[in-house]
Amino acid sequence: MKTRLEEKLYHEYLQFFEKAERERRWNVFEDIPWSRINKEASEELALCAETFCSVEMYLPDYVAGGINVVRDYFGTAWFQANWGYEESKHSLALMQYLLRSGKRSEEQMFDLHNKIFAKKWELPFHTARQMTFYGCVQEQATFVIYVKHRERAAKENDECLRTIYDFVARDEIAHTRFYQGVIKVLLDEDRPGTLADMAHVFANFEMPGVGIVPEYDERILKMREAGIDRSVFIQKVYLPILKYLGVGRHEMLAAQREAIARRAELRDADPAAPATLAATAKAAEATAPGAKLVEVERREQLVDVERREQLVDGNGAPLLAHAGSL
Amino acid sequence: MSDKKNLLEMFKTVAARVDKREFPQVTSDSVITELGIDSLSMMQIVGEMETELGIMIPDEDLVEIITVGDLCKKVETRL
Repeated sequence: MKTRLEEKLYHEYLQFFEKAERERRWNVFEDIPWSRINKEASEELALCAETFCSVEMYLPDYVAGGINVVRDYFGTAWFQANWGYEESKHSLALMQYLLRSGKRSEEQMFDLHNKIFAKKWELPFHTARQMTFYGCVQEQATFVIYVKHRERAAKENDECLRTIYDFVARDEIAHTRFYQGVIKVLLDEDRPGTLADMAHVFANFEMPGVGIVPEYDERILKMREAGIDRSVFIQKVYLPILKYLGVGRHEMLAAQREAIARRAELRDADPAAPATLAATAKAAEATAPGAKLVEVERREQLVDVERREQLVDGNGAPLLAHAGSL
Repeated sequence: MSDKKNLLEMFKTVAARVDKREFPQVTSDSVITELGIDSLSMMQIVGEMETELGIMIPDEDLVEIITVGDLCKKVETRL
């Protein structure tokens, strides 16, 4: 017999899937204007497309990890299956763009695939509720980034890439809406527990490409040129998600305080962190005695912050919250 | 002047409580992200200052806060 929660999640999925089937399906081979690729577009545009493609290429890990966390619930498990199908089209479309534009050869793409598959994406959180909220934040951030890059592709007169980003962004915001619908159900079931998980995910969020996509840090610098800055996380991800869920900023304070404190404890307890800092500081002192320690410490703090906010700055940059705001 | 100084001290106190470390060198010109304070911690600091002072900064104003001085000004105008 179905529980009330199962029933609600089933209806969330059915609503999502019906809309997807009726209004949102697109075909990689027929709906993208491949003849309108601008082969003179910049290498930066291609590099960003390659970076998106790289992140999407970890699909087997995302699907394998994600679906097992939620397999007990029909609605969320079937969503993961559909999500995998839609995401597979994203990487395929971007791969085709890179090849058909002549920006990358098949050999280069195979090399990239080999580098990508040499590393594995691991689940960042381990409960269904936390992973659902992670999906919500990640899809929202990704949507924002794709919208920014859609504008960038349009500026470079690449109608093909602009169209790809348009389709992809539309899918991503639809995924966000599904996750938000599920979180609303979970808030109704257990508001304090769900708020605690939301705070935990916000405090420990990283975009999926961090640490696994080859040359990720260098790629992020190029991605930011699309206009992504730190304010995006607050403006386009954090506040819009809370607003959509009907959660006030101040309602998050208690749970956030605990989540940030736990994160700080982990930071302080990590034996590698001070060792790295000390080693870097020592090296800096050797080349320019004095005054370097503060700079090194500041730089490491910045790197730490930027890694957590890649969505904002790489994956991390400004999208939207509600599709409308972009 | 005194109020501004008090708000700066309040920022240091709240930031230390939130992020579990001291911020002795902070000035009004300090860029918040350069202090190693991420967006979420900043939202927490703002929220706790609002609660303690009984004020509310509109969401749309939050994205304009870059430096500690920016935050203090937003607070000051609502006291």
